[in-house]
Amino acid sequence: MAQKLFSALAGIGIALGMGAVILVIEGRQPFEVYGALAALSLGDADKLAITLKNAVPLILTGLSASLAFASGPVNLGQPGQFLMGALAATLVGISVDLPAPLMVPLLIAAALAGGAMWAGVAALLRHAFNMSEFIVTLMLNSVAELFTAWLITIDGPLAEAGALSPRSPAIASGGRLGDIGEFNISIVVMALAALAIWYVFHRTRAGYEWRIAGQNTLFARLGGCPVDRNFFIVMLLSGALAGLAGGLLVMSGTYRLIRGIGANYAWDGVMIAVVANSALAATVLYGMFFAALQTGALGMELLTAVPSEFIQVLQAVIVLVSVASRGYLSALLDRLALRRLHRHSAIARQ
Amino acid sequence: MRIVIGLLNGMLAGATPVLLAALGGAFTFYAGVFNIAMEGMLLVGAFCAALGSFFSGSWMIGVLCAVAGALLLSLLFILFAIALKTDEFVTGIALNLFASGATTYLLRQLFGVRGAFTDAGIQAVPRVEIPLVSQIPLAGEVLSGQNLIVYAAALAALGCAWLIFRTPFGLRLRAAGYNAASLESSGVRPARVRVAALLICGVLCGLGGAFLSLGYVRLFAEGMSAGRGWIALAAVILVNGNPWGVALIALLFGLADGMGLFAQGLGVPAQFTGMLPYIATLIALFVYARRKRRARLGQSV
Amino acid sequence: MSDLIDLRHITKTFPPNVTALDDVSVSFQAGEIHAVVGENGAGKSTLMKVLYGLQRADRGEIVLRGQPVRFNAANDAIAAGIGMVHQEILLIPEYTVWQNVVLGAEPRARWGALDTRQARQRVRSKIDAFGLNLDPDALVGDISIAARQKVEILKLLYRNVAVLILDEPTAVLTPLEVPQLFEELRRLRDSGKTILFVSHHLEEVLELSDRVTVLRRGRKVDTVPAASTSKSDLARMMVGRELLFTTRRAARPPGEVVLRINNLSLRDGRQINRLRDVNLEVRAEEIVGIAGVEGNGQFELVNAIIGLIQPDAGAICVNGHDLTRAPILERRRHIAFVAQDRGRMGASVNASIAENAIMTHHRLNEAFSRRRWRLDMRQAAAFAERVRDQFAVAMSRADQPFRALSGGNQQKVILGRELLLDRPFLLLDQPTRGLDVGSTEYVREQMLSQRDARRAILLISSDLEELFSVADRIAVMHRGEIVADTPIERASLEQVGYWMLQGRDGSAGLTGGSTGSPTGGSTGSPTGGSTGSPPRSADAAGAVA
Repeated sequence: MAQKLFSALAGIGIALGMGAVILVIEGRQPFEVYGALAALSLGDADKLAITLKNAVPLILTGLSASLAFASGPVNLGQPGQFLMGALAATLVGISVDLPAPLMVPLLIAAALAGGAMWAGVAALLRHAFNMSEFIVTLMLNSVAELFTAWLITIDGPLAEAGALSPRSPAIASGGRLGDIGEFNISIVVMALAALAIWYVFHRTRAGYEWRIAGQNTLFARLGGCPVDRNFFIVMLLSGALAGLAGGLLVMSGTYRLIRGIGANYAWDGVMIAVVANSALAATVLYGMFFAALQTGALGMELLTAVPSEFIQVLQAVIVLVSVASRGYLSALLDRLALRRLHRHSAIARQ
Repeated sequence: MRIVIGLLNGMLAGATPVLLAALGGAFTFYAGVFNIAMEGMLLVGAFCAALGSFFSGSWMIGVLCAVAGALLLSLLFILFAIALKTDEFVTGIALNLFASGATTYLLRQLFGVRGAFTDAGIQAVPRVEIPLVSQIPLAGEVLSGQNLIVYAAALAALGCAWLIFRTPFGLRLRAAGYNAASLESSGVRPARVRVAALLICGVLCGLGGAFLSLGYVRLFAEGMSAGRGWIALAAVILVNGNPWGVALIALLFGLADGMGLFAQGLGVPAQFTGMLPYIATLIALFVYARRKRRARLGQSV
Repeated sequence: MSDLIDLRHITKTFPPNVTALDDVSVSFQAGEIHAVVGENGAGKSTLMKVLYGLQRADRGEIVLRGQPVRFNAANDAIAAGIGMVHQEILLIPEYTVWQNVVLGAEPRARWGALDTRQARQRVRSKIDAFGLNLDPDALVGDISIAARQKVEILKLLYRNVAVLILDEPTAVLTPLEVPQLFEELRRLRDSGKTILFVSHHLEEVLELSDRVTVLRRGRKVDTVPAASTSKSDLARMMVGRELLFTTRRAARPPGEVVLRINNLSLRDGRQINRLRDVNLEVRAEEIVGIAGVEGNGQFELVNAIIGLIQPDAGAICVNGHDLTRAPILERRRHIAFVAQDRGRMGASVNASIAENAIMTHHRLNEAFSRRRWRLDMRQAAAFAERVRDQFAVAMSRADQPFRALSGGNQQKVILGRELLLDRPFLLLDQPTRGLDVGSTEYVREQMLSQRDARRAILLISSDLEELFSVADRIAVMHRGEIVADTPIERASLEQVGYWMLQGRDGSAGLTGGSTGSPTGGSTGSPTGGSTGSPPRSADAAGAVA
């Protein structure tokens, strides 16, 4: 456990160091830049609120990926499930008009269902035909993207009349999430979802089986766990989380389905899960970390003239370095342990 | 008739980058490397091509830069996935992210623009008119006058097929994918073969990227590879890496590209024709999984 | 004949404390066929791997033609003229024979292309020179296993090796194919090559080889000329006479039948018979031990009982419940199971001790399923502590990772977990493998006390000593069949050794014990198959590979 945390932090540290080198080459001050990043994302309640709101889709798609990876199935369909969740929430949101206490849960349920259904297609194909969910979810991403794009093209079936860019009509006001003080309600929803998933994964019998199956499927099977059924359920849940992310973005940000919604979050969920090594709590933390990076980036540009795109490079470097160092570190530790054993057995035989 | 000629020309143009990337992917596929970084290699290639061409005023330098850029990504892949034994899938994802971020960042830094960079100073790769062929009525309009890289891609397909099926290198390449332990016991280290495959993939993807930015257009746009690397991956999987099969699929994709515009004129939404490659991959996967299941009957988990 | 290869004082240990070879010195001469025999774990394969360079010896040296050598990679050994044919055939099924043979040493034509014509020609000339009867253009995936083995040999001959090492060459052959292989090997020897082969099959060893070296528990027992040795001599050297009989209890009649297996048959994905018409019974208050060289169907038997594979025919019943096709969870209501591979099947080494301890209990133990969906981690920890106390596990806290425990303690946790399930039938697969002496003793004591508590126990073990000290009855598996099933008092170590290595040998009067009737009436042969037939029944349909 401590080893995991250490290697994760080491990875980030090295990556930040490499970023600093790049900045120095460009003739800038790393501390000034990093300082600006921190101040702009976490400096005061205002900024913190924005950062947290931006963290919602990151954390939820991250949890979607982490949950799946940690339990066995490889779900790379977050982009597609995100869109389907957004679509479902939008569809219901424009078809029905109810007061908020009813509307909000309804839209959330729709978003969950949309994402779960899309993941369910992949789960079904795996279950019935043993088709690798890895590839299926990837392919379904593109299908979802193209499908939703078609729906909202100008004069398309779901397009808003008279719109100048591809987008759907706005959802009813009852479904729009406002703020409590500075902080948007979607943050609360995300927190509840994260807590719920954490609880299920770590404190229920089902979560136990998922964990063990993710570590050693054969052992779980021999112990009597219904591994295949569990894989299916996890896929659905994972899809639901990504769908929720999409739905919340519609409900709290755009209020409608617009072109390219969620595109910039497409792979971030997987990225966060990879850096967090599929641990749920770490996923939440890294989600917030990357949200801070991305939120601060825009303002950082104004203050320090470093382009916000620098963040994307930094993110990629963080992923590569943290994963490589993790593997390298564990290989190193294994070798040290082996050497220690050799020494012991050599001594024992004398 | 005009329409057909237009379609065929469009098909060749659309097929070329996919073909090159897929040929590169074929090498890594045969070698047993799980390589999903073609998308990133294409993007980096496109960027470096525009960069090189602009700063040197020569398209040849541009193409060389494209290859160099994509090779850089290959080297990173080799460093992480082969030397450090990082998971190949994660490495691919990270490299794609890196390519996307770096090209966007450098676009800002070096050219001071966002979104796309276009300038008269960028030298495009020229078209080639073949003297006698160009005079053949109708067919001549398709067979001659294509961009240089289109012809290069065709030659590359031939060359790759020869390399893979007729040389000792190719024999060892496929052996590394079929049974690396057997290759090792024959005295050849699979890692070396895999490194070679990744380098070749870099060269080919670099060429493909150069076509994207210096072929029929003269610009670099963010995300220019637009999923062609993923389509190349699908193509490789669909035909199990066979270069001829890959060429065929690339042409089909190119055709779908051209048909898309045509069909839009007929009223079919481009998005649906765009879905074809992905659905085709699903079908192929279905067939593949069925075949595997039949072979596994009777064996334990 | 001079010594071609001299292995001196070879020692090799695998961490943490497994000594594979202990000061072994052997020499091999040019132009001889030399067999290396021994039981499982005796060190035969390791010795050959050290010679070939796949393993590095911790101590000792290899002298080739008078010069000390050190091989770092497969290439080095081949360059020095030593080639090895592994037991698992390492060929590429998608390639033809000649492609497989020339891989890595391809003749080249213009512009670096592969010279197909020359390659085929060279391969064909080698085939003819050694009379190997192969078609160079056949796909390796299409030819028989015997032919594939010949291709492996051909690969080495193509590279002009002087020494061929063969690891269990007849294990993959049907009885009809063996004489042809022997013919070819003799031809090779007569042409000056040295053949080293590792084997279990004493009769073949005596038939084919010039000299035989016997290993036991990592040490060399002796090197003897085949002409002046007998099977019983070899068996005695292999298996040894020092037995540590630990606890022996007074004979008590066993109770009713708990496990009943009838006519169990199974083919694997390649249509090879893995289990043939297996009949077996285990009664309450009885330990039945299954002896046999690994790979003769024990693994498949265990997997069929526990539910990982479905048999093609036959039935498995525990206390009358037909479990033949039941899901694993259903079987776990009646069966406690200790798997042969701790890390891969018996535990999740990255999970905590508590998480490993509660597997299966989390569903079937009422204490845990009180609130069906919740899992109280404190309860889990308490359970793990209960296991620790009852089974003397040396561990600190239940939330420590499982892999922090030593092998012996890991096995104790696994054993404790399974025993606390309180099932009438226990299936134990190599439960003391890889354990130190103390843990081994502990596990055996547990087995005996479980038996006294009226459980039925099926124990699979490759350690004959263990079987003889613990089991009440012993059954021997050979090529997927039970070839012997007898009370332990009526079995001798030598006899069991024979059965393990030779299968049914028609020596009536040494079989006893029943399969099916409480009165013990027997037909004089173990499983009702043919008696008096030659040691290898001519079953060309497929041998156990």
